[in-house]
Amino acid sequence: MSTDVSAPQGRSRLDVTPPTRVGGVARVSALYSRHREIAAILISVLLFIYFLARSGSLFLGSNVATLGQYVAPIAILAVGEAMLLICGEIDLSSGNVYALSPFIVMYLNQDHLPVILATVLAILISAFIGLVNGLITVYLHVPSFVTTLGMSFLLLGIVLVLTNGATGTPPGGSLYADIMGGGNWSELIWAGCIVVVFAYLLKWTRFGTYTFAVGGNLNAAREASINVARIKIWNFVLMGALAGLTGILDGVRIAALDPTSGGTAIMFSAVAAAVIGGTSLVGGSGSVIGAFFGACFLETLYDGFTLEGVSQFDFDIIIGAAILIAMIVNIRFQRLRVGRSFEELEPEGDEA
Amino acid sequence: MTSESSGQSRISRRQLLGSAALAGGGLAVGSALGGISPAFAAAPRAVSNPYPSHPTWTFTLVNHVTTSEFFVPTRYGAQDACDLFGCQYQWVGSVNSIVSEMVDAFNVAIDAKVDGIGVPVIDPNAFIAPTNRALAAGIPVIAYNTAAPTTTADKNLQMCYIGQSLFQAGELMGQQILDKLDKGRIVVFNPTPGSLNLQARTNGINDVIKASGKPITIDNIASAATLAEAVAAVKAYYAGHPDVVGMFCVDTLTMVGIIEVMQAHNLKGKIVTGCFDTIPQVVSGITSGYVDFTIYQQPYLQGFLPILELFLFKLSGGLNIPSSVETGLSLITKANIGQFAKYTDRYEGSSAAEKIIPMSGPISVSAGDYPPTQLS
Repeated sequence: MSTDVSAPQGRSRLDVTPPTRVGGVARVSALYSRHREIAAILISVLLFIYFLARSGSLFLGSNVATLGQYVAPIAILAVGEAMLLICGEIDLSSGNVYALSPFIVMYLNQDHLPVILATVLAILISAFIGLVNGLITVYLHVPSFVTTLGMSFLLLGIVLVLTNGATGTPPGGSLYADIMGGGNWSELIWAGCIVVVFAYLLKWTRFGTYTFAVGGNLNAAREASINVARIKIWNFVLMGALAGLTGILDGVRIAALDPTSGGTAIMFSAVAAAVIGGTSLVGGSGSVIGAFFGACFLETLYDGFTLEGVSQFDFDIIIGAAILIAMIVNIRFQRLRVGRSFEELEPEGDEA
Repeated sequence: MTSESSGQSRISRRQLLGSAALAGGGLAVGSALGGISPAFAAAPRAVSNPYPSHPTWTFTLVNHVTTSEFFVPTRYGAQDACDLFGCQYQWVGSVNSIVSEMVDAFNVAIDAKVDGIGVPVIDPNAFIAPTNRALAAGIPVIAYNTAAPTTTADKNLQMCYIGQSLFQAGELMGQQILDKLDKGRIVVFNPTPGSLNLQARTNGINDVIKASGKPITIDNIASAATLAEAVAAVKAYYAGHPDVVGMFCVDTLTMVGIIEVMQAHNLKGKIVTGCFDTIPQVVSGITSGYVDFTIYQQPYLQGFLPILELFLFKLSGGLNIPSSVETGLSLITKANIGQFAKYTDRYEGSSAAEKIIPMSGPISVSAGDYPPTQLS
């Protein structure tokens, strides 16, 4: 191993000195430690190359747009879940907000509200549902897992009662449809913009820093006068709004509103994407860019294997194995990172 | 203490290489798994058939309940057809009738340039654009098991429909109810009210009974798509309506709940019951007298015929146009349950073995027993 030759003598034991002579290994591991999303980007690229090798030109061409349509909804939901996971919470009801919100647009539009206004209102209502989740979790001290679980059943029931189980048709003209998910690329563009905005939010704003702090060490954050309640509740609100938006985008894309769509399946995919992207389930660390690439990895699996002609039953074996392999690889990189920070905190070795 | 001083990463080259090896190993395993996967899918056996040799054509059957017991014989039928003609099929879609998953799978099949696609049209609008896209790409699309509703029939351009006429199946059930009952309260259970295929049956039942003018009250009640919940729904209904004279369902799973209620309250012979399809519980229910009739839609043919038609279309460059087939207005009662009850076989999905089911004696056909010879 390379040794640090430039450490000055008599340095305080509390100094934390970055490596001054950086060998190749240390440089790579430093990169991984600063950017949690690297592992997710790497496995996504590898998977892409794998399918390219297996399916050749079929994997490109029109399939890229189809792949984008697989990835976009999961990516948007994963961004919201990543934010919540980072601050130490979770939202199990996001899939049901996803199912409800396009129906709100449809019903409001049937009551002669212009479709744009109906869309904005539906997203606001979804954000309000997030607010309720946040208030119950923070002020009534119900663990968010339980709060949002109860909310998910409540919302599922509301959707079924409102629709009587029948499917619906999203409103809006062709321009609305093109922008709100109907075009080949529009949902992916939405996802890309949302990832960029939230990555900025997390990395460059105080809100983002506080989100990390609240999830990393709740008591220390409180001691540091961070308004923990407000941070958490805002993250719930953002998750609700994102889930509402995603539901509308997907409903317009398929040109059909389905009361049984979304639900726990899509929520689990979103959480899995966030975790594969490097967000810790216990809070305090994560990345929305990683969440996006986690979604890419997950959905490329579905798209790529369907393209190859794999049938449903074999599918699940392969998806399960692939997720396990990806997560084992991911965790290995994460453990490298933890190892490094441990090293930084240790007192210096025996210098004379 | 090692010779590394503080601030230097303790990550050894060995650790990093180990992780890289793991990633590489993961990729290798992934390749191996991927390599296995085409073998899981139907690898065509060498067969002798009159047609010239051709590349292995792939047909994608999209489905809304891919893991449903009902479609087990459908998959056997598709498999047998593929083996006969040297093709392979892909079975994808959604486990829980989630339309977006079906549309996604449909789109990927188009991107994969498969040779034909079959889809149950469980939503009036969602499959219009994907079908048009497939047709524009030169891929034939047929509908099976569930047809597009009349409201969007002019926009849904699937080339034919192979399956049961759902509204008429409901009418057939309604007619059976009128034959057996003159008055009283009946219940018709629907696990997914509003959903295209089952709602059409419910509507058929209601229309026929209302048109007859008989004083029969119909309770249209929602059961559920899973067995446990369906049973609970039936029990709850009966607890509130013990005066019911007939219990029917437009699916097959709810009948299991109805049989349970009949056993619990000793109702055999006292109420009239009927359902659809022939899962083993229904077959034994008919034999033992709990179920008066069921309407059969031949799930094996719903897998075999789509592959057959898509193959012939492909083989003939479009000269053999896919034709609609009514697979399912067969009334099964105790009189003709014999063959169903006697054998476990590939056509009912109860056995995977290929065998010839023996048949003897005259074939009794009454009007309305078999699918009509005129397609309406």
